[in-house]
Amino acid sequence: MKIFFSILLLFSLSFASDATIEVIKKVDSLPSIAVEDASVSYDQSFKMKFFKTLIADLNVLSILNVDRYYRTNNFDASNVVVENKDFNYVLRYKLFQGDNNSLNVQMILLKNNQQVLGKNYKVSNDKIHVFVSHAMAYDINEYMGESSVAWMKKKVIFAKNIAPKRTEIIISDYTLAYTHVIVSGGFNIFPKWANQEQSAFYYTSLDNKKPTLMYVDVKTGNKKSILSSDGMMVCSDVSDDAKTLLLTMAPDGQPDVFSYNVGTKRQKRITTFKGIDVNGQFIENNKIAFVSERMGYPNIFTTDVNGGSVEQLVYYGNSNSSCSANGEYIVYKARESSSAYSANTFNLHLISTKSDSIRRLTAGGVNEFPRFSKDGDAIIYIKNYQAQSSIGIIRLNHNRNFLFPLSSGRIQSMDW
Amino acid sequence: MKNVILSGVVATLLVFSGCADKEPVVDNSDLNKQVVQEVAPVQAVAADNGDMMTDAMRMAALEKELATVYFAFDKYDIVGDNTSKVSNDASVLNAQASAYGIKLEGNCDEWGSDEYNIALGLKRADAVKKALVSEGVSESRISMVSYGESNPTCSDKTKECWSQNRRVDFKLLP
Repeated sequence: MKIFFSILLLFSLSFASDATIEVIKKVDSLPSIAVEDASVSYDQSFKMKFFKTLIADLNVLSILNVDRYYRTNNFDASNVVVENKDFNYVLRYKLFQGDNNSLNVQMILLKNNQQVLGKNYKVSNDKIHVFVSHAMAYDINEYMGESSVAWMKKKVIFAKNIAPKRTEIIISDYTLAYTHVIVSGGFNIFPKWANQEQSAFYYTSLDNKKPTLMYVDVKTGNKKSILSSDGMMVCSDVSDDAKTLLLTMAPDGQPDVFSYNVGTKRQKRITTFKGIDVNGQFIENNKIAFVSERMGYPNIFTTDVNGGSVEQLVYYGNSNSSCSANGEYIVYKARESSSAYSANTFNLHLISTKSDSIRRLTAGGVNEFPRFSKDGDAIIYIKNYQAQSSIGIIRLNHNRNFLFPLSSGRIQSMDW
Repeated sequence: MKNVILSGVVATLLVFSGCADKEPVVDNSDLNKQVVQEVAPVQAVAADNGDMMTDAMRMAALEKELATVYFAFDKYDIVGDNTSKVSNDASVLNAQASAYGIKLEGNCDEWGSDEYNIALGLKRADAVKKALVSEGVSESRISMVSYGESNPTCSDKTKECWSQNRRVDFKLLP
């Protein structure tokens, strides 16, 4: 009996999920899927655009070996097209235009010519078709019983530099295929979702005499000013209940991490070091992680949410100047070369507060601004290469990275 | 089939809740108006004095006399000939420009757009502020802001260009 239990324990330990351990899955061993378009409305270019978005989404799921060939079939056909007969799954969909130019999508998932999943979708216009594609991929992932990709349906908010001291704040889907400018004109940076529903956001306005934290309701467009500080003001993190903010402010030219209660409007200084303390992030057990140069170079430290003794969290990297946290996991940006100008590679690394292992997540270029999805399944980040910015997605449990380039401008900061 | 329709309705609602097409654009034009209003009274005062040179013109001329201070990579201490530049700047600020407030604008190179970079720009501005105060400039005249990497004077991908962007600029305030 003892032997049985020790084997059981060994078995369960070896399968315990630890995101700092790399998982390498062979593409060949994944089930295959082909896609059939049965659309009746829309021109060929729109049909191809939708097909490509859907293929990209299915690839990002990382659980299927996706066939990239475009094939058509009748929606009600009893058999899949002959080229698709050896695939494990066939996804068939029909786009058709409804009242007031609404876009309707019917989808079925077939296995051995038998329907195993069926869904209908409708959006008010075809400009937002990417959200339908993301929802379809999400539903297929749910059907397959894999860990949730709810982040796929979330919106990304980012600030883009368009000229010196001029920015735009933009809301987009995670692939940047859909973009909507929500704050235009002026110099506004560091947008941050104000709650998990993404119904409002904070940002820093640098157009006033002092840097000012603004709050915008997405549905009404109403904005109000929350707080100002000399020198610097950034909303670094919002608690899960949306009631507490971690701010970086700099009264007297001294950047420190503060907590701010949205209800009582009371602020509390958490760090007091006379150099740079920034980028506070809530982690578990009422603690925060933050970036500080108290050792002579930027690195990641932790302290209690009410302040007190400070502990070093990261022991690798010459210059670790930004971080994001999710429970026990912390992802941070590290400069790998000690020379100021040699390749100047910045890579993202993942650590756990409960173990000593480090996992490098990116391999080259300037990778920064990592942000966890709320469920910790994925990390979104900015990759800057020469004059172009891209948004990157890292699927932690699948060990895969995806890049989505921004057509123009440079991303200043981002939240998910 | 009933299940398919039901789940379809749910999916429709979900997708609708994700619709972003109705999001309004926040208009920042009221902020821009404030800037215009601040400038107008200054010009009126200059006209009252019967001076040919407006205050704004005088400020712009004085700003040209204030030398920009440059910094090393990832550093915010003032070194080398930048020390004498700050002394000269302090002399101008204590004499010809003594009637104006001073805004110190910290800037960084393009290596990083995170909060740390903004803080680095601010510490650079703060280093200049401390040096000015030690040279007798009143602390109450000085305000600071950091633009991080968002206000480059040079956008080439060279060492020389990056070093020009790691700087503190002076702006005079009425």
